[in-house]
Amino acid sequence: MTGRRLALILAAVGLIVAAAVALGSGQMPAPAIVASMLRTTLQVATPLTLGALAGLYCERAGVINIGIEGMMLLAAFGGFVAALAAHAALGDGAVGASLAIGVAAAVLCGGLAGAFHALLCVTYRVDQIISGTVLNVLAIGLTGYLSRQLFFQSGMPHAPGVLPTLRLPLLADLPLVGGVFEQQPIALAALALVALTHVVLFHTVWGLRARAVGEHPRAADTAGIAVARVRWANVVVGGLVAGLAGAYFTLESVPTFEPLMTNGRGFIALAAMIFGGWTPLGAWAASLVFGAAQALQINAQGFGLAVPSQLVGMLPYLLTMLALAGLAGRTRPPAADGQPYDPHEAQA
Amino acid sequence: MQTRGVGRTTGSGVGHGRSGAARAARGRRSGAARAARGRRIAPFVLALALVSLLVLAACGGARGTAQGGPGFRVGLVTDVGKIDDRSFNQSVWEGVQQAQREVPGITETKYIETTDPKDYEKNIQQFTDAGYDVVVTVGFALAEATYQAAKRSPAIRFIGVEQVLAKDDQHPDWPLPNLVGITFEDDKAGFLAGALAGLVTRSGTVGAVLATDAVPPVYRFGEGFRAGVRHANPAAQLVVAYHNDVGLDRTFSDPEWGKTTAYSQIDRGADIVFGAGGKTGNGALIGAVERGKWAIGVDADQYYTVPEAQKGLLSSAMKLLTPATVHLVRAAKEGSFPPGLFTGDVALAPFHDLDGQVSADVKGRLAEIQRGLTDGAIKTGVPAVKPAS
Amino acid sequence: MPAEPSPPPPPPAAPAPVSPLLRPVFPSSERVVGALQTALAALAVPVLAVVTALLVGGAIIALAGRDPLLAYAALWEGCCASPRALSETLVWATPYIFTGLAVALAFHGGLFNIGAEGQLALGALVAAWLGYALPGLAGPLPAAVHLPLVLLGGTLAGAAWGAIPGWLKARTGAHEVINTIMLNYVALLAVSYLLNGPLRDPSPLNVIARTPEIALSARLPRLAPDLRLHAGLLLALLAAAAVWWGLYRTPLGFAIRAVGANPAAARTAGMPVGGLVVAALALSGALAGLAGAVEVAGLNYRHELGFSLGYGFDAIAIALLARVHPLGVVPAALLLGALRNGAARMQFLASVPVDLVVVLEGLILLFVAAEVLVRRLYRLPPAGAPLVFTRGWR
Repeated sequence: MTGRRLALILAAVGLIVAAAVALGSGQMPAPAIVASMLRTTLQVATPLTLGALAGLYCERAGVINIGIEGMMLLAAFGGFVAALAAHAALGDGAVGASLAIGVAAAVLCGGLAGAFHALLCVTYRVDQIISGTVLNVLAIGLTGYLSRQLFFQSGMPHAPGVLPTLRLPLLADLPLVGGVFEQQPIALAALALVALTHVVLFHTVWGLRARAVGEHPRAADTAGIAVARVRWANVVVGGLVAGLAGAYFTLESVPTFEPLMTNGRGFIALAAMIFGGWTPLGAWAASLVFGAAQALQINAQGFGLAVPSQLVGMLPYLLTMLALAGLAGRTRPPAADGQPYDPHEAQA
Repeated sequence: MQTRGVGRTTGSGVGHGRSGAARAARGRRSGAARAARGRRIAPFVLALALVSLLVLAACGGARGTAQGGPGFRVGLVTDVGKIDDRSFNQSVWEGVQQAQREVPGITETKYIETTDPKDYEKNIQQFTDAGYDVVVTVGFALAEATYQAAKRSPAIRFIGVEQVLAKDDQHPDWPLPNLVGITFEDDKAGFLAGALAGLVTRSGTVGAVLATDAVPPVYRFGEGFRAGVRHANPAAQLVVAYHNDVGLDRTFSDPEWGKTTAYSQIDRGADIVFGAGGKTGNGALIGAVERGKWAIGVDADQYYTVPEAQKGLLSSAMKLLTPATVHLVRAAKEGSFPPGLFTGDVALAPFHDLDGQVSADVKGRLAEIQRGLTDGAIKTGVPAVKPAS
Repeated sequence: MPAEPSPPPPPPAAPAPVSPLLRPVFPSSERVVGALQTALAALAVPVLAVVTALLVGGAIIALAGRDPLLAYAALWEGCCASPRALSETLVWATPYIFTGLAVALAFHGGLFNIGAEGQLALGALVAAWLGYALPGLAGPLPAAVHLPLVLLGGTLAGAAWGAIPGWLKARTGAHEVINTIMLNYVALLAVSYLLNGPLRDPSPLNVIARTPEIALSARLPRLAPDLRLHAGLLLALLAAAAVWWGLYRTPLGFAIRAVGANPAAARTAGMPVGGLVVAALALSGALAGLAGAVEVAGLNYRHELGFSLGYGFDAIAIALLARVHPLGVVPAALLLGALRNGAARMQFLASVPVDLVVVLEGLILLFVAAEVLVRRLYRLPPAGAPLVFTRGWR
């Protein structure tokens, strides 16, 4: 992931914002458009960033994880239910505590889902894409089923709300980019995690081991690294991060749970990870591009364009495909990505 | 014929190294071939036993589920949305339940959620086969299936919510004596909401976040709102967003999109947002109130259904689905079933907490507009469905 | 190291070739038993996976406070206990057979096609358009011409939509998992736009986003007077046989399987791997498109807006349950069709939400994929190796 590539990706974000300004300048003053686009982009990009980081942890250790969507959904539901239960127990005075409990529960659910994936892929060496698919299907079914059984007859109980917006005092008053510094906790956590992941992956021994296992597990094994354990650890950590992404949906965005509320964002996050060249900064930049595309789509109706909204709605997906086609061939996944490792098997 | 997986064949059952020895001890010891066959057959016997157990349970259970019931029973079939969508389906179901509480003699109410348009007919048949007395179907998509079912089962009464039919080549027998379609003048309700928004806005910009305009009631709400704003405040800026970019099963259940869209409209200067479309609309209400702006709800008095938005919820453009359902179910029970078309009522909900902030002037104007709509002096000009582009 | 103390007895010598007229009607009993055992061995894991999934599902139902026996009894009643129920199950199973074949075919080529949903939707739309618009453009057509055109149109639409991710993979290496999922969304949005606009039924009372009804000459006949069962089922069975024959008895099928087994070796052997990838995904898409066309021509007689992102994952479950064998797809599709069909009855009688069927599907998928679990549970001998499709993102 070169600095030049990163700059190119960020320029793409700028391009999309500029397009929004161009399209909407008749209706709204340009600075307002830019501010709105930046704020929406960052907001929408939060689950994508976290999902991409989750995928990153798994894939750098050599485990493909297409079950991020399912992990996010399970975490969203689990966190929501925990927050409801905490709110019922603690009452209106402790809303913050209820939400915190909800976030913790969501992260835990994500971790459990990660453990499930690791059990199937690493221990039982099931095909990783199948395992991810199983995770997705089970997540959709379980969350749909449970949310119906729990919430229908009695109606959805009074939710504790969403996480409060935090304002960074001086920065939030800046003219154009001020909105960027007025975000909710999980959005800020996503930014912090990007930096943290970069440090962990590239500047710690733990990260070195993980990357070794992802590039050449046989050599790592020979060097004394416990391949299975490292993979397990990475997949569970990936699950924890995906759990935080799930918490975004029901604890930061809207105080309610809907079946299928993740709406394909787990897959877009995967694409962001690939587009970003399997690095944290790249994944973040790529998430911003997709976030900007969705922000453009949201604003487009207000601009009174003659284009039907369904066609504008295709934008994020077409962009994903374009990104994959244009740049995937020139990035390199971890060498052993996707291959189950059998220590007893004679390697060809 | 041997099945082949991609890559490698699955084992054909002959024992492999690792636990072969342990397993041989379990089968009969007389010969490797017989032990091998024992290993292959034992699990199938087990499987056979399990399967027969399930089948026996199923058959036993099935005999116990024979239908036939005394009393007056009401069934509900939803559209591909879910029953708890806090919109049409939910309001109508609440009406059915309320009818059960208030009308003596109704013994049972039940609902079926449709998950695939293929199943409309089948789901209605579940109720007709079981001999239910009233079947309520929700949503314009079920109009055809309801009409056909009403023709086939003249003894059962059918209530079709938001189903407008007329006598034409496809429906030569309309009106059927056992079928009534409920419709509402959503455009008038939207008009009132738009007028209210236009009158109270201080920034001069008004926003509207709705589900897809492919659903006629939503379209009428939205365009009625637009017309109302223009009528009451021609200088006001209006931003309307329909959630056309997802499927019918998601367009009413996407609160996140609703909130994000409301935010973007507020960024454009809107200080009052109309949220219409199940949970999608609710997301817009919550988002608007969170940003300190006002909101107008839809369908029911959302002051009660979305308590999170109470402090900023000015009013709601109500279409009284629940009372209409109760009325018709009661009519079916009491023998005064009105076939054909039934027009339900629409109204603006009270201002609740914000009542003090609405000037008497505005209230007067609203009353005037209401009168104009009722006696026909004011026309909303909104077609029944979105014209095909 | 094999544990058998002595090698198994050699198979009986093949009988001398005999004129077909003189060959006995029933093969020898040993061959029957041997064939039966092979078939049973192949069936063991899928059957046990289903059974285990049903048991776990029952536990989930019980935990939520409902009666699992009643639920399963209702499921059975809804799917199989009357001619109408069976007919509906078969109606559900018909598109499942096609889409299951689509996914299985792609798997044989080492490719993961999650785009069945979008390919089906486009196939259905094109078929519907040909069904109602063609007589207007070309005059009334006899059914022998119109119907095949309708089906062909849907098939080609699906094939084109499948070829796109195939081409992208061949040219740029972009993995088809993501591209097929993205194209699903694009297809569904395109169909939504068209159904709300240019292709919409213009009759004055129509408020739904749907096409006009297709002409009589474009419809598949029903198979029984009062039931919805239609000739599409026969086409589906034919397709299963055709795919099986094509994969195992033709050079193209062999080439596709070779690419699936080891693309590097195939390339070294001189096979046009890129072209074969495109061909495999195009054929896969064609089957899914045909599923949509058959739904239009046989069941609905129009195409209507009604999204469900179910077909994609359902088809994968079916293909895996069938151990990706084309003929195995038929019983797997029947099973899933039975589950989906019976779910409504289960909801009606036992108040169990239909989402449970998705959970069951996930569990079945889990136990089939993680067959190690099933084998451990039921003390089956371990397999040679689990099914592996992943080859990383390249």
